[in-house]
Amino acid sequence: MRSSRIRRLGWIGLLVAALSLVVVAGVDDGGLETDAERVQRLSESYACPQCRGQSVAESNAAVAATIRQFISDQVTAGATDTEIRDDLLRAYDARILLNPPAEGITALVWVLPVVLVIVGAMGVAAAVTRNRGTTREPSDEDRRLVASAREGRG
Amino acid sequence: MNALIGLGFVTLGLAASVLGAAGGVFALVTDRLYLLKTIRSWAMLVLVAAVGAFTVMEIALFQRDYSLAYVSKVGSDETPPLFNFAALWSSLEGSILLWALVLAGYLAAMVIKFRSRRDDRLLGWALVVMLVVCAFFFALMVGPANPFLTVEVPPGFNGPGPNVLLQNHILMAFHPPMLYLGYVGFTVPFAFAIAALITGRVGEGWLLETRRWTVAAWGFLTAGIVLGAWWSYEVLGWGGYWAWDPVENASLLPWLTGTAYLHSVMVQERRGMLRVWNLSLLCATFSLTILGTFLTRSGVVESVHAFSDGPIGAWLLGFFGLAAATSIGLIGWRGDRLRSPGAIDAPLSREASFLANNLLFGALAFVVLLGTVFPLVAEAWDGTRLTIGRPYFDSLGRPIGLAMLFLMATAPVLPWRKASTEVLSVRLFWPAMAAVASMALALVLGGRGVYPIVTFGLGGFAAGAAIRQVVLATRRQGWRGFLGRTNGGMIVHIGVVLLAVGLAASESYKSDRTVQLAVGESATIEGHEFTYLEAGADMNDRRLRVFALIEIDGADVYAPATTSFRQNGARPVPTPSVRSGFTEDVYLVLDEVPDPADDSIRLRVIIRPMVAWMWAGGALMAVGTVLALFPGRRRRGTEPVSAPVAVGAPAAGPPSGRNGSNGDDPAATGPTDRGAADSPSGDAAVPAGKDPVANG
Repeated sequence: MRSSRIRRLGWIGLLVAALSLVVVAGVDDGGLETDAERVQRLSESYACPQCRGQSVAESNAAVAATIRQFISDQVTAGATDTEIRDDLLRAYDARILLNPPAEGITALVWVLPVVLVIVGAMGVAAAVTRNRGTTREPSDEDRRLVASAREGRG
Repeated sequence: MNALIGLGFVTLGLAASVLGAAGGVFALVTDRLYLLKTIRSWAMLVLVAAVGAFTVMEIALFQRDYSLAYVSKVGSDETPPLFNFAALWSSLEGSILLWALVLAGYLAAMVIKFRSRRDDRLLGWALVVMLVVCAFFFALMVGPANPFLTVEVPPGFNGPGPNVLLQNHILMAFHPPMLYLGYVGFTVPFAFAIAALITGRVGEGWLLETRRWTVAAWGFLTAGIVLGAWWSYEVLGWGGYWAWDPVENASLLPWLTGTAYLHSVMVQERRGMLRVWNLSLLCATFSLTILGTFLTRSGVVESVHAFSDGPIGAWLLGFFGLAAATSIGLIGWRGDRLRSPGAIDAPLSREASFLANNLLFGALAFVVLLGTVFPLVAEAWDGTRLTIGRPYFDSLGRPIGLAMLFLMATAPVLPWRKASTEVLSVRLFWPAMAAVASMALALVLGGRGVYPIVTFGLGGFAAGAAIRQVVLATRRQGWRGFLGRTNGGMIVHIGVVLLAVGLAASESYKSDRTVQLAVGESATIEGHEFTYLEAGADMNDRRLRVFALIEIDGADVYAPATTSFRQNGARPVPTPSVRSGFTEDVYLVLDEVPDPADDSIRLRVIIRPMVAWMWAGGALMAVGTVLALFPGRRRRGTEPVSAPVAVGAPAAGPPSGRNGSNGDDPAATGPTDRGAADSPSGDAAVPAGKDPVANG
């Protein structure tokens, strides 16, 4: 009894410690975004038009370097994220966005997984709670069946 | 000459597969079971054909027999022996040939492994399915992906050699075969699943037969994927290891469904539940390997991996449709026999946690599939052109991954059937302390950001739970506490934690800078000093390598380079140089060929912490898989009444494998019970509600 109370206190302590650590990690996050960090973040969200799968930030291709430079210049000039995005969309096409916009038919890529998880979670919840309160003791018939099955095993 | 012999072998393979399958079906349908033993000879003939065709192709590659179109495409006089050997699978036709070889190997292994059960219907049908799949791949080689087509070449012709990126690193000799051993390995449990559906023996017998095959295939696939990521990191020079490229996604999809299956199958072995679900997962895994091959080999998705386009798209898509339709049709047809004999007792139980696991793996597989095929669907639908890349997969994959880590911590300590919160609070206390300790340690070491810190915490939690299980097992059983599926599985879990922690750290705390350096000049990045010593070049008849010697922190010298291959014209590829360490990797790339005129280079320096943890994690996953293949300890039987029971068994002759294993962890039954055939009838005929299992 005593040990279980100590353990409960221990759990509360652990939970508080974990939460405060997460808060510290989230709040003390290097302050405001620097220009270099912003260039990096933006470069990571645009696709290199010539190398499928890699972002402008990752690719070694010449066109990626050009776009990196463009983003860097725009950031220095004080352009907003949206302005940079619109400029790039004009110069290339929608394929340059690594993150599909949630509009039109493309919204489906965001909606469908969420719907699937919700439906699946409801299914799992139904499966695990279905049997609650309907359990019963094994009957003599059940035990006999098990016994004969075990004998049959030889 | 090579072309003729090769084509002969391929035709032989096709003929033997078709005749073997047809003979098998004839024997099974007309009940002439004594004829089933002929399948064995056909299977061996298929193996001979595959080995023969493979050998002929290798001989042609080494003879530089450019009269073969394939050799003239991927061979060259200068390719060194190892890469020349690996050149066989560097393009479409050869990949299919490798696939056929691996498949024929698995087929022969099945025949040898189950040689004592020549007139077993289940096995007969399983072999028929294997032969049908063999026939498909040999037909591809006779038809649209013929590796032995001939071509006229002028005298003195020299081929281009394999794609330059494929002859830059020794891993190319191991990554594709590993991957194929994994992909193709899932054909074996798939064949048994189809056989179980056809024969109606949908109990647990076929599961037990294929348990080790599935685990082995999963291990190969895991190793293949991790090796591929490592190759991408060491060779491609972009500082990353996973681009969410369609080919990578295609290998991840069957891995995800296969992993889901490995977990949920335990519920069926133990409780007889989830039959339809497990069959569906296996069929999905097999179908996804074919779909993945279609996506990557038909040229429908451009990608850095799609080195070749071919006319075989329709064939692969058709076969995918056939596999999917057959699976769904058979499961529907056998629906009445697949009803579950039991039910899940409580939300807080091992069974329920496996269901949650399956939900997460299913969801992630869905996200990966959707992200891969949606651009194609959207383009076909209304011409929308779009890209789905890392930000999409990251933002949906991260929460799923974190939930998986949480389950990895809690599920292994949960008892079957029903747990009390008291049990959980006792068993999870030490893992929870490990969680908080790893978060605190990460913060002290300078880690920031909610997502990585939570990952480290949940990683510590999961690792704590896995280590707890291993410690308990070894305390009870000594060194045998490392063996068996349960214990090996925990080692795999620890490997997954290492991988997840390395992934989170190397993605979150990456620094990527490009500096211009003149000879003798230094730059300081992230506390490291980089000095450009000098440039140099070495050249052979195959390639020209221009490198820059960079001294890091005044100690070690590294040589990032650019390599121009003769065959590739002028375009050089960057060859990175990596200083790997326990805490961080320093990755040096030259964006462009050093200019001899002005003595200066543009050096890209990528610093990523804990990358090596991912490779260590992958290696540990492989070790854990091997340990899981050993037979585990025979456990003390549980209260028999709480074991699942096949009601029909007493009257129906031989007991099912499930009965034989006493419903306890079937890893415990050892090899002797595995041969037990499950009863042809009645196995699944458990009336709902008649089950003695359902008592809390």
